[in-house]
Amino acid sequence: MKRMTKGKFVPVLLTAALGFGLVACGGDDSSTSTEAPAGSEAPEGSEARASAYMATGDPMDNFTPWADIPDSGTESPVVDCAPEEGPLKAAWVYVGPTNDGGWTQTHDEGRLAVQEALGDAVETTYKENVPEGPQVVQTVEDLIADGNTVIFGTSFGFQDAFVEVAAAHPDVCFEFATGYLSAPNLSQFYGGAEDTDYLAGMAAGAASATGKLAYLASFPIPEVVRGVNAWTLGAQSVNPDATVKVVWLNTWFNPAEERKAAEALIAEGYDVLGMKGIDSPSTGDAALAAGIPWAGYNRDNSANYGDVWLTATSYHWEAYLIPRLQQILDGTWTAGNYYGNLSDGFLTLATYGSLVSDETYATIEARLVELAAAPGSEFTGPITDNQGNEVLADGVAHTFGELMSMSYLVAGVDGEIPAS
Amino acid sequence: MKSPIRLERRLEQPKWLNWAIPLISLVAALILGAIVLLATGKNPWDVYFRIFERGFAGTRALSGSLKTATPLAFTGLCAAVAFRMGLINIGGEGQLYMGAVGAAGVGIALDGQPTGVVVVAMCLAGMLCGALYAAIVGVLRAKFNTNEIITSLMLNYIASIFLSYLIYNSTSYWRDPVSKNFPAGKPIADRAEWNFFEFAGIKIPLAFFIAIIAAVAVSVLYKRTRFGFEVGVIADSPKAARYAGIRTSSTIILVLALSGALAGLGGAADVGNFRQLLDGKGLQMSGYGYTGIVVAALARLNPITTVVVAVLIGGLTNAGFALQGPDFPSGLVGTLQGLILFTAVAGEILIKYRIKANRRVTTAVAA
Amino acid sequence: MGLETAIKMTGIVKKFPGVIANDHVNLDINFGEVHALLGENGAGKSTLSNILTGLYRPDDGSVEIAGTKVEFNSPRDALNAGIGMVHQHFRLVSTFTVAENVVLGESDSSLFMDQKAVAARVKELSDRYGLAVDPSARIWQLSVGEQQRVEILKVLYRGARVLILDEPTAVLTPIETTELFKTLRAMVAEGRTVIFISHKLDEVMAVSDRVTVLRGGRNVGTVNTRESSTRDLASLMVGRSVEFTRVQREVPAEARSIILNVTDISARDDRGGIALQSVSLTVGRGEIVGIAGVAGNGQRELAEVISGMRAMTSGSISVQGEKVQSGKARSAIAKGIAHVPEDRLHTGLASSHSVEDNLALKNYRTMSRFRILKRKSIRAQSTDLIERYDIKTPGSQTPVRLLSGGNVQKVLLAREFSALPKVLIAASPTRGLDVGAIETVRERLVQAADNGVGVLLISEDLDEIMSLADRILVMYEGRIVDEVPAEGADRERIGLTMGGIKL
Repeated sequence: MKRMTKGKFVPVLLTAALGFGLVACGGDDSSTSTEAPAGSEAPEGSEARASAYMATGDPMDNFTPWADIPDSGTESPVVDCAPEEGPLKAAWVYVGPTNDGGWTQTHDEGRLAVQEALGDAVETTYKENVPEGPQVVQTVEDLIADGNTVIFGTSFGFQDAFVEVAAAHPDVCFEFATGYLSAPNLSQFYGGAEDTDYLAGMAAGAASATGKLAYLASFPIPEVVRGVNAWTLGAQSVNPDATVKVVWLNTWFNPAEERKAAEALIAEGYDVLGMKGIDSPSTGDAALAAGIPWAGYNRDNSANYGDVWLTATSYHWEAYLIPRLQQILDGTWTAGNYYGNLSDGFLTLATYGSLVSDETYATIEARLVELAAAPGSEFTGPITDNQGNEVLADGVAHTFGELMSMSYLVAGVDGEIPAS
Repeated sequence: MKSPIRLERRLEQPKWLNWAIPLISLVAALILGAIVLLATGKNPWDVYFRIFERGFAGTRALSGSLKTATPLAFTGLCAAVAFRMGLINIGGEGQLYMGAVGAAGVGIALDGQPTGVVVVAMCLAGMLCGALYAAIVGVLRAKFNTNEIITSLMLNYIASIFLSYLIYNSTSYWRDPVSKNFPAGKPIADRAEWNFFEFAGIKIPLAFFIAIIAAVAVSVLYKRTRFGFEVGVIADSPKAARYAGIRTSSTIILVLALSGALAGLGGAADVGNFRQLLDGKGLQMSGYGYTGIVVAALARLNPITTVVVAVLIGGLTNAGFALQGPDFPSGLVGTLQGLILFTAVAGEILIKYRIKANRRVTTAVAA
Repeated sequence: MGLETAIKMTGIVKKFPGVIANDHVNLDINFGEVHALLGENGAGKSTLSNILTGLYRPDDGSVEIAGTKVEFNSPRDALNAGIGMVHQHFRLVSTFTVAENVVLGESDSSLFMDQKAVAARVKELSDRYGLAVDPSARIWQLSVGEQQRVEILKVLYRGARVLILDEPTAVLTPIETTELFKTLRAMVAEGRTVIFISHKLDEVMAVSDRVTVLRGGRNVGTVNTRESSTRDLASLMVGRSVEFTRVQREVPAEARSIILNVTDISARDDRGGIALQSVSLTVGRGEIVGIAGVAGNGQRELAEVISGMRAMTSGSISVQGEKVQSGKARSAIAKGIAHVPEDRLHTGLASSHSVEDNLALKNYRTMSRFRILKRKSIRAQSTDLIERYDIKTPGSQTPVRLLSGGNVQKVLLAREFSALPKVLIAASPTRGLDVGAIETVRERLVQAADNGVGVLLISEDLDEIMSLADRILVMYEGRIVDEVPAEGADRERIGLTMGGIKL
């Protein structure tokens, strides 16, 4: 894979190995697709380098069966969706193309990692560019008719269709990313990217000479708002006067629009770009053309954006997928909710670009360890919103529920959440 | 430079061409498709069989195809109605959004009313919103002679931004205040949900029947009424229409309003029969309005044929999703679908023109 | 004058569905002659010339050019063989210059044309044949006569030795016609050949060396012009003898009662220029008023304003004292104004529509209930009118564009006359028709007047006006410049006033 860094090895795989007793994955392709730890090599200035952090947590520690979540109102019996004979057939339904350079690509990389890790025991397939709407049910039904017994959905807009098909096929396992609805055979999985967004913000804040940063965001929804705020707080932690201009693109995937918006921001004089909730890296194309630093999102694009690359939140779906599919093979799968983080390898901070100085690298690495140990703790008071109201008093942190429904912008964000 | 062949306009179009050409086009499409498939290492027979199986064979496939076909039938009618008078309304997309907005609004507001009342009200609201939106294009064309292709296309963008605004950028009436994680439309009342009817195991959406009724109504309107007669004369010769005292301006506005009403009805169908809410993103991804233009063109602007073609395209679309996978990229599916549509339209040309070989003349007496 | 055979067509057969357009036609045309092709509409003249110019391929028969058998696949093949066509409807790009139009479509013209060389060659050709036209002028600046010269130059520039002219005088003023004839004589004097397609007997007599008459797709005779007469040719053409004399009829006493009153109307043309300036006229019951003038002096706009197709900027129109609303065709129709426009196929008729629909074009509103058309009534009206007006059509469902010119006009007349109008505006009602059809149209006009209809006859054909009208008005530059009684009118005086000479 293109992100491979020679001669280094991989934390996630180690994590996976530790967590589920998987061994003998040395040549695994997924191993090369995650950041290599520095290991024995000392980081050098002006060189791209990986984070030294090694996730050791078990992703299944962050998974809770529906039955254990009081307000889910859903039972979570063991669903046996493994075939009587032959490989377990698993299918992914994607909203975008598998080569979008972002969201869908990270999911497909997860699928390939699963295929590599579990080998002949599974047979994977996917459908891409599936529009949200009546076709989703048909597409999933087709997949089931083809013998697939685990179906993964990766776009929020598919959720109703998944609930519908899950009810019709109680013997099929459904796994859904970014949703919230539950069913005895429908699981939800996602993770707290705000921690890595914060760390990426630190790199961005340090890279800005003017302290004027810009951030392209998809929709003003809690998940993305958390990203904006975390990134801003991260930037301010190293560059106290930093301000962040936020632009809502109101699209998840529109490379042309994204690039246009980025170019407009660059023209206005913002000297570092960041982004959240956007599926393509075309913001990076604009940054590359203008030669200004860029903190990405979704995946490690350091190899393609050389000199302008800072770092990014990077998803590793396989951290969750591999143990879950193993559970199906073992006949122990139950539905529930998963919220991953840095400590279990679901999220990593992508390779640091050469623009990140030794000093900043060290600062971020130290903070990374703290956040891995206490996810969400970057939102600890004192925090005021950009209207001047106090949100969190000194030392007070948000509850998980408050994080999930965040609807304010922290001081220093130049922008607003449309009327609420 | 002289090309080896040329097109000669047919003085008359023999009747047999009307069925022979589409047939030949289909065969040509299959052969061309087979070449592409063989070149990419696929077995054409398997692929075609799968298209047929997943698009049309069996109750589940047909039920799915009808779902996909229903909005296309409405947008196809939208295009056909306007194109018949030479008005190139590209705005079916935006008019469908507006219809969906209107119908969803009514569907939410009429919570608690009997199903029949809500369904009729949603249809009317969808048609009204679509019609008004398209009437903007009509007024600009009739009063200021503005090019309707450009205005209708621009209004699509506005409708698309408006839709995003309602769901993502505001706390509008249409947005679900309790939607978690991601903003979503507010679901319409349960009783506002349109029915599916089952015939021989095939689930047929109520909206599909409405589409058939709409197609018959348009057909009658254009064939049997004074209005249809006037539309025909304007399409044939605007001067003759003026000569006969036909009010061209108001007819332009009315035809576009009708065109928009049909797209708007498609929007109502989408909300009532399929999504049960105003879907800010999914509607835009589906692109029913644009595909509807293709449907109308393939149906040669005949309203009844439009519904039939919509079912074919619906099946082809669904089969496309069934085909693709890791070893069959969606790009190849698109190429195959494009090839079939392209040959169908190319065949259309052969009905109007014939191909003649250019032979050189050897004798000349030029001075 | 050479006697070498330029074109020899033998046994030419061309069939169209239901029609044999050319039925074993033999035709010999020599170099150095003006050979007229005479015949009624539908006699097969156009088909024959389309075969000669490569538009159609004959079903049977052969074409030899200078003794060599040829087969054409396109007009370009014909042009390469030295045959060029000057169409009745020009094919010029109006924003291009004369020189650009002349070289347009040249097969081996390079990307950048040598303007000077082209202009020089155009100049040379136009001097040689008296085709006065400025090579650098743009087409839209030219008169119709000048545009026709460009069409002829185009064909000459491509080296054509045989020129086919389809109804070339239809668009010309009498003076321009005389000049065209000089040009044609100059060309044949150099050994070129001109095939002159026309209906106008005196023109054929004036310009041709030999005449071939076609009737019903057959060659009914080729004669030397000098040994023939107008009367001979006319009877060959229609198969019976035709008299051209002034229609003698009693102008009813009630002609004094005014039926159409046009007062001080002004209007603009399509480009916004002034087309009509304070035009006033009256037409009495049963009277035929002729409007003479060279095309483009406001006649078309006058007809359009009276029939409600064009708004007037000032003035008023009334029929029997009732005002007609400006620019409202429906109001004009309701007041009893019938209109036979100059452009029959695209204004007077919806040409892709059926005969039946076109016959109902003005009264379909009355043949409906609850806005649903009563097809039966429309069909019945059609059957009735086809019969009464002797319209030759395969059926009432046939699109009118497939009918011959005469029958197209019959459809129009049938509709307009059957509406029992009070006023009839007829613009060039016989243009492009064959002798038989012309006769029918004229009879119908006279008949209408006899029945008390006030007829306003607009025509560029002075003979027609002089033979039909009771009173003649002359239009020049949007004004009525002269008025004379038709009986004993002085042709020269009318010709002068048409040309803008003030008396």
